[in-house]
Amino acid sequence: MISNLAVAIMNGIVWGLIMALIALGLNMIFGLLHIINMAHGALYMLGAVVAWYVIELTGNFWIGLMVAPLCVGFIGLIIERGLIRTIEDKPIITIICTFGVMLAVQQLVLMIFGGSPRRISPPIAYRFPLFDLQYPAMRIMIALISIALMIGLWIFLRKTKYGLWMRAVVQDREMAVGLGIPVNKVYMWTFVLGSALAAFSGVLAAPIVSVEFMMGREVLIMAFIIVIVGGMGNLEGSVIAAIMISLIQGVGALFVPPSIATVFALAFMIIVLLIRPQGLFGE
Amino acid sequence: MFLQKGKSFGFILIFILILLGLIIIPFFVDLFYQTFLTELFVWILFAISFDLIFGYTGLLSFGQALFFGLGGYTVTILIRKFGLNTELSLLFSIIIPILFAWFVGYFSVKLTGIHFVIITIIFAIIGNIIGDTWTSFTGGADGLTFSPPPYRLGLFQIDLMDIKGNYYFVLTIVAISFLFLRRMIQSPLGKVFISIRENEERARLIGYNVQRYKLIAFIIAGGLSGLAGGLYSLTLKYASAGYLHWSVSGHAVVYTIVGGMGTLIGPALGAGIVMSLEHYLINFLQTTDLVVGIVLVAMVLMAPKGLVGFIQSRFKKGETSA
Repeated sequence: MISNLAVAIMNGIVWGLIMALIALGLNMIFGLLHIINMAHGALYMLGAVVAWYVIELTGNFWIGLMVAPLCVGFIGLIIERGLIRTIEDKPIITIICTFGVMLAVQQLVLMIFGGSPRRISPPIAYRFPLFDLQYPAMRIMIALISIALMIGLWIFLRKTKYGLWMRAVVQDREMAVGLGIPVNKVYMWTFVLGSALAAFSGVLAAPIVSVEFMMGREVLIMAFIIVIVGGMGNLEGSVIAAIMISLIQGVGALFVPPSIATVFALAFMIIVLLIRPQGLFGE
Repeated sequence: MFLQKGKSFGFILIFILILLGLIIIPFFVDLFYQTFLTELFVWILFAISFDLIFGYTGLLSFGQALFFGLGGYTVTILIRKFGLNTELSLLFSIIIPILFAWFVGYFSVKLTGIHFVIITIIFAIIGNIIGDTWTSFTGGADGLTFSPPPYRLGLFQIDLMDIKGNYYFVLTIVAISFLFLRRMIQSPLGKVFISIRENEERARLIGYNVQRYKLIAFIIAGGLSGLAGGLYSLTLKYASAGYLHWSVSGHAVVYTIVGGMGTLIGPALGAGIVMSLEHYLINFLQTTDLVVGIVLVAMVLMAPKGLVGFIQSRFKKGETSA
């Protein structure tokens, strides 16, 4: 029992960190552009699929981890410049537009990549003992990479010029324009960064789950839950909420069927939406 | 122009002509196309009920799949497990979704904008998970099949197992629903819905209880979505948890955006165009979401008011320049 619990907690933390990356991307785009990106789950899936091809070609997981976010970031650039730019002041319309992008991307992947799930084998096969069970070291590595990416993001937002601009635009867009911040460019790079983060989490999740064209659909909903519970626009809140929710789901699944655990998580989220629409950790 | 409201005579003429056309079509096309058209009518009903809350009241709900699925299951389970007749089970496929829409709407209309979108998705997901898990009652992803008993109307008896009988049955109900919605939108109630879409704050200041009117729109749309679901399972003789998936609501979104929101005739037109396109493309592609997605994005960017809006703006331009 104790070893099962330990594994559930470890899995909860690892999965929570991956979810935090997705939610951070979604939340950054929301905080800045005030749009809900329905295609975010599809970008996560695309990250995993691109990585699968790169790994097939080169045989190296780490190259996949580097290349996939670049490719997906570029696709994010096209989506932002080509589509969202023209309708950014209509939040409801952008939801519908990105929903269309989601459908198209999923289907394109189905046509090229096929419908059957495929696996990316973890580059680190070592397993270490955890009580009387074995735990794959790769997952610890995944968790460490996620943490490193989040620290990198934090430094980027706090210590660089672009990070300062981003925070300025979130605080007061009009004033930012007045001070000469290229708001247009900041929007673009935020969307690219958010897309790249989704791709990173897709690649990191790939050795744990299997790669298939629908893998982003449920993840998108989980990311919504995390963003709302953590507070829309509140990045630290998203990270805490991601780990909290996936721990509750993971440990809860030891005691009740997983679908029941999800229903409770969703019901909890409805209550949060109604009572504290600014999120649990908002002011 | 017949698309504009208030020009009743032109509308009635066109409506009767289209209806007559649809009544004689089954004598010229084979069973496959009769089924295709029957399904089209069902999706038209789903799309126009969505248009009531999105196009007219301004609420983007991705939760309509919940009511669609509930309607489908109501008909299936009442006929299969309780042996109820068709007309009563269809009546319940309106009533039960209305009760759920009341509950869901009561909470949802307290929120606005993006929060409203998300809370409706969550309710639909909860419904989908319950449908998937509670297999003894719903059949889960495999679903349930049934055979509807013949429907008696006075001296006539309509066999719903017969494709042509089912065609006329669905056509009649969808046509009545269309007229009902059109009449409602032209009523003072409909004007309140439109005023909420145009300017919620102003509607509130005039003295309307905005939340209450949103709830009314949500309930009516929910009931009609349920009826669409009920007719859908009558047509397919089948219901599954897949009906409850929030992406089913996406159908209504696509048809409404393509045809033109807030026009009723637009979503019906959109359903016809998109479904015909899909029907044609299925010859070349496994599934057609790619094209549907591209069409959706293109419409949003180039003609956000849909085909009907596009045509109307062309006519207006013509009028002013003349």
